[in-house]
Amino acid sequence: MAENASKPGPEPSDRVVIGLTFGNSNSSIAYTIDDKAEVIANEDGDRQIPTVLSYVDGDEYYGAQAKAFLVRNPSNTIVHFRDFLGQDFKSIDPTHCHAAAHPQDAAGTVSFSVKDKGPEEEASSVSVSDASTRFLRRLATAASEYLGKKVTSAVITVPTNFSDKQREALIGAAKDADLEILQLIADPIAAVLAYDARPEAQVKDKIVVVADLGGTRSDVTVVASRGGMYTILATAHDYDFAGVHLDNALMEYFAKEFMKKHTADPRSNPRSLAKLRLESEATKKALSLGTNAQFSVESLADGYDFSMTINRIRYEMVGRKVFEGINRLVEGAIKKAGLDVLDVDEVVMCGGTSHTPRIANNLRGIFPETTAILAPATSAEAINPSELEARGAALQASLIQEYEADDIDQSTHPAVTTVKHISNAIGVITVGPEGEDVFTPIMPAETAVPARRTVHIPAPADGGDVLVKIVEGGTHIKVTKPEAKPKEEANGDDENDEDSDFDSDEEDEEKREKLWKIGELLAEAAIRDVKKGGNVEVTINVQADLSVTVTTREVGAKGGVRGTLPGQ
Amino acid sequence: PLLPSGWTAEKDFKPSGQGRLSAASERSLEPVGPHFLAHARRARHKRTFSEDDRI
Repeated sequence: MAENASKPGPEPSDRVVIGLTFGNSNSSIAYTIDDKAEVIANEDGDRQIPTVLSYVDGDEYYGAQAKAFLVRNPSNTIVHFRDFLGQDFKSIDPTHCHAAAHPQDAAGTVSFSVKDKGPEEEASSVSVSDASTRFLRRLATAASEYLGKKVTSAVITVPTNFSDKQREALIGAAKDADLEILQLIADPIAAVLAYDARPEAQVKDKIVVVADLGGTRSDVTVVASRGGMYTILATAHDYDFAGVHLDNALMEYFAKEFMKKHTADPRSNPRSLAKLRLESEATKKALSLGTNAQFSVESLADGYDFSMTINRIRYEMVGRKVFEGINRLVEGAIKKAGLDVLDVDEVVMCGGTSHTPRIANNLRGIFPETTAILAPATSAEAINPSELEARGAALQASLIQEYEADDIDQSTHPAVTTVKHISNAIGVITVGPEGEDVFTPIMPAETAVPARRTVHIPAPADGGDVLVKIVEGGTHIKVTKPEAKPKEEANGDDENDEDSDFDSDEEDEEKREKLWKIGELLAEAAIRDVKKGGNVEVTINVQADLSVTVTTREVGAKGGVRGTLPGQ
Repeated sequence: PLLPSGWTAEKDFKPSGQGRLSAASERSLEPVGPHFLAHARRARHKRTFSEDDRI
């Protein structure tokens, strides 16, 4: 691309790379050491750095320090600007900026008016891309100071619904901050990579649901992970059930408790409201770790101090609506992918709100026991949900730092990424315990081709000649109704009455299980004279044109049978 | 299953009447992770798995 000629960028050998997560509420930076990703703390000691910029007396503050200025200096504090990048003024939702500098229309794009030069100077107009540049520069500086080397390049994570215009705006803002963007990767994929890159992880074919529960938005993504390659099957985005809504519920609760003792409403005055919000968020975080937390604000309203404790059970009642919304969001995304909760192998919880134990426990209740819910409350091996995306970005950055910019562009080109995915599983027929035909999957549906899988299948106990039948397969959900009640049995002769309104057995849950259905026969192969107790190895290799090569032999034997089916 | 008696085929391999996969869907892979990068390398050099294994 001609564009590349004008951006020389550092030589691959001179690069210092980091992974960067740039959120509306919080951002993080991570680097890799010995193939392990570590999240970097900034000079304030924060690993989750609030995405806030504030100007006081001409000095720039960012992160937690800037966030604290939301109380005394809201009009010169910029918050929640990531989602405004590359957007038209008309299409943005300024709700979350209400208590800080308001976004303004600057010839269609978004900007903020803040006194960034000094209290006596005129307020200047800071565009969203300027704000992003300034903030990214501070993040890169924090990483450079930690690493002792100037950071030149980064991989940044973005939501799956980020438009090309937003991506370009982000790349531009980073370039203005002297940061080369190697690649923009999707938030949920970064989270999955952070888990899959652990040394103890095994590459498996699995369906992963990534629940990215953030401050102002929640994104749920259904991912097919096949041989370590990821395909997004469905995404759902929501702006009504996120961390800030839990904060709001707590604010309501504390404000009402305050008003029981005093006459003033802390929500009626901006400064009181800002204090209430900051402390409610801090209390919420404490309730993710402990079962009790203290809420206390000095001079909350009318000069009265306010202090009370809240336990986790009370909080879970207060936030119930939000928790239920998150459940529906997760279920909706799975449905959108045309799947059932039984199809899901792993749920990766990421984003700050995923620390909430109730949300993980609710999801535990939705999914079958075989599904791993990867959150601190439900799994001992879970990684900190706030750090997943930055770690994934750092791992990806370390993988591609040696590549030329052209190589990265070519590898991520649609010609490479758009490939066929098989729509049915491929497997063999084996004999079940009662002599029936059973489908044993070798390659699951939604596997990107070309792909290759090998399985070992025990031959009949007595050995002898074996017929290997290669078939397609699908899954279906079998619902077993609970045992019919005697009352219904009496009406058994009246078939029209079977679905009568007599439905008192609600406590008997119907049993749902996933079963394989044998589909079209693809090919047969014979393996002769298999030893007693021997195993048969079947390898299936699907090429990009969907032609299939089947190789099958007895384990340990030479040769074997090999055949090819034509492609499309 | 056991081989039925009288089953024969050329080189012991017999494609079925249909003999090919059902239609596949076009989807996009996420260009992330070591396995994707290996796939991209194969795709760009037009190598097969076994050729790639040898390198």
